[in-house]
Amino acid sequence: MKKNVTFALISVSLASVVFAGCSGKDPVADPTASAPTDNFHATGFPIVEKPITLDIFNRQSNSNIPWDKMLVFREYEKMTNIKASFKNVPTAGFNEKRNLILNTKDLPDIFISANFTRLDAVKYGTSGMFIPLEGLIDQYAPNIKALFDQYPEIKQSLTAPDGHIYMLSDFVTLFSARTAKPWLNKKWLDELGLEVPKTTQELKNVLIAFRDQDPNRNGQKDEIPMSGENLGQIVSNINGAWGLENQMGNRINVQDDKVRYWPADDRYKQILQYLHELYKEKLLDNTLFTQQDTEYLTKTSEAKVGFFYKQATDTFSAVADQFIGIEPVAGPNGDRLHTQVQPIARSYGAFAITSANPYPAESIRWIDYFSGEEGSIFLRYGVEGQTFNYADGVPTYPDEVLKNEKGSAFAISQFAPWPGTAITHWINDKNSNAVNPPQVQEAAEKLEPYIPERILGAPLFDAATAKKVDTLLTDVNTYIDESSAKFVNGERSFDDWDNYVSTLNKMGLAEIEEIYQEAYDTTYKN
Amino acid sequence: MQDRSNKLMKRMLVRYELYLMLLLPLVWFIIFQYVPMYGVQIAFREFMPNLGFLGSPWVGFEHFERFFSSYYFERLLWNTLSISLFQTLVAFPIPIFLALLIHEIQNKRMRKLLQNVTYMPHFISIVVIVGMLNLFLSSETGFVNHVLSAVGIEPIAFMERADWFKTVLISSGVWQNMGWQSIIYIAALSGLDPQLYEAAKIDGASRWQRVMHVSVPGILPTIIILLILDIGHFMNVGFEKILLMQNELNMEASDVISTFIYRNGILKGDFSYSASIGLFNALINFILLIVINAYARRKTETSLW
Repeated sequence: MKKNVTFALISVSLASVVFAGCSGKDPVADPTASAPTDNFHATGFPIVEKPITLDIFNRQSNSNIPWDKMLVFREYEKMTNIKASFKNVPTAGFNEKRNLILNTKDLPDIFISANFTRLDAVKYGTSGMFIPLEGLIDQYAPNIKALFDQYPEIKQSLTAPDGHIYMLSDFVTLFSARTAKPWLNKKWLDELGLEVPKTTQELKNVLIAFRDQDPNRNGQKDEIPMSGENLGQIVSNINGAWGLENQMGNRINVQDDKVRYWPADDRYKQILQYLHELYKEKLLDNTLFTQQDTEYLTKTSEAKVGFFYKQATDTFSAVADQFIGIEPVAGPNGDRLHTQVQPIARSYGAFAITSANPYPAESIRWIDYFSGEEGSIFLRYGVEGQTFNYADGVPTYPDEVLKNEKGSAFAISQFAPWPGTAITHWINDKNSNAVNPPQVQEAAEKLEPYIPERILGAPLFDAATAKKVDTLLTDVNTYIDESSAKFVNGERSFDDWDNYVSTLNKMGLAEIEEIYQEAYDTTYKN
Repeated sequence: MQDRSNKLMKRMLVRYELYLMLLLPLVWFIIFQYVPMYGVQIAFREFMPNLGFLGSPWVGFEHFERFFSSYYFERLLWNTLSISLFQTLVAFPIPIFLALLIHEIQNKRMRKLLQNVTYMPHFISIVVIVGMLNLFLSSETGFVNHVLSAVGIEPIAFMERADWFKTVLISSGVWQNMGWQSIIYIAALSGLDPQLYEAAKIDGASRWQRVMHVSVPGILPTIIILLILDIGHFMNVGFEKILLMQNELNMEASDVISTFIYRNGILKGDFSYSASIGLFNALINFILLIVINAYARRKTETSLW
């Protein structure tokens, strides 16, 4: 009897799982085929006559208040008649939660700032969970369409090999927001009477002086001449001095339409040798491989580091006046490039519409406004007179926001969502004076002459290739990162380099290069 | 048949309170341990959320092949096995020695003190333990290296060297858990009949002989059961601690199957692949458990079943 009860229990619970798993859907339906209802306006505000609600799964950054409480979205609801019901999922553990919701039947209507990778987009997009956006954009999104027309590379890098656009990025035409800048401690430099270094050798000499001559004049050798978030971050910034670029979101150079994957290149060896020298002489932070992110932030915000790469000054704003952005240093072979630049379509996976969404046209109009001049200012600044004012024709936050003791990102996050998130909107030189103060702008201008002609975003592969690339890169990247760390800290001798190269070849270096060449030919070749 | 089940029903009705109590854990096991097993099938499918468990296409052993042919397969397997093996060899006997030692201490206050001191570290969270390891073992500022350099030994970057990883992992684990794990042996020891000790004393057994011939045989069944349970999760090496201690420089010794699953399955959402690796892991565990249990039953007549 008891056995029967147990059996019944098992079958009931199994059955419920089985039924939940059964209802499949047809992949990739064209959303423009079904015309929106009379309730919908194709242009102008409000977007709908009678109010509707959109379910939005959004990542809430650490500084953000819940999005539905923000002035921007409260106002936007009144303008559009669309109520946005935000999930407000915190950044910590976001990817896990997102992966879980993707695996239930309970899809939201829209994902915003959801950290999707290109692999996710192709995988879920081709299976029909996300609807293609290109038709909707053509019909209902004049602002995004205008950006596509003006900067063709945006559309190129968002379009999957099957011709569909499953996800949008944000659109960053402001150069300064797309690159890390080399920051040098000018106060230390002046204290020691040194010149701004122009080559890697001069940089090394400056770092030696930082190490030995107590530039902060406290009588202790507590200066860290150079540091970074991790080895990869330093390499991707300094590799321009050896002529290596970071194209297609990988360790790739493109010249004369030829893709070259360079981790086995002799120039990469030279970079590692240079960094090994710095590490050995304690010019490069010796805790580089074990430090936590917060420890690194503390070091830079307390001006203990002489030289590092960082996009803006916001994390070390209290000591920012000690630092200047410098021009990239030239390498031993005379190369002088700055290649750590992100494409205009910067943060992939910032916006996607799911197959569960009954209002695709309404949704695309809802997001499109933020990619226009007026809408982008509205999203970033809120309401004129309340949260910002125009100064010399440029929108500017009031002082209580900019000089807020908890940081400007915190103050802005009380009414606008963009700090720490990636929501699809246009970031340009007219709407960004908070992240782009004069000092950062100046540093960016110094880099501009040295950036490569074209910056290619990571390509979208078809599902089969994407899986193959992923399998290959998982192993290869682990091997490169591990070996590079060992070469730099001296655990592995450079005599072993040939061994490293032959192992990489065995792991499929040529195959990776081939796949990226193909992707280049189909996506970017003119 | 009808008759027998009627009898069983009667017997159950008499002690129905006990069976009610049993029901709760039973339901827990069914819901959280057996029902999820239904999802194991995604190890043989290319799992797509919108198609569901049953709708996703079969791919056979593709994921297993991918794992076995991965460049890092041997390393993952070796690290997992060797960490487990060293853990069993080193970390398993130490709590037994500690228990025997504490049992032999005559002074009651001393005994309580020793017991408390050794089991306190168990309550420190793993994140804190790893933070402490990073601080104490740092090659520049850690006090261990200060001591080493004071006696003329070159500083060692413990946390950055692959060859030190397992030593640091296991010895810090011993430090943290030996007191806690010894409690069960101490309980077993105090359950032994004092007359046995008195008889041995009268027979002229020395203290060492009393330990070897009374205490150890007395707790041997406990030791064996715990050993079998330990082997039962042989392949599930302490995931959180290893993940926290991992860095680019010690990956060679610290990358184990469970951290590999975390990186591929949870972070990248490749559920089918990680399900297949997890299944492989569980299979090895299962085989080990059966083998060791059969062996123990044959040799010592103590076993789980």
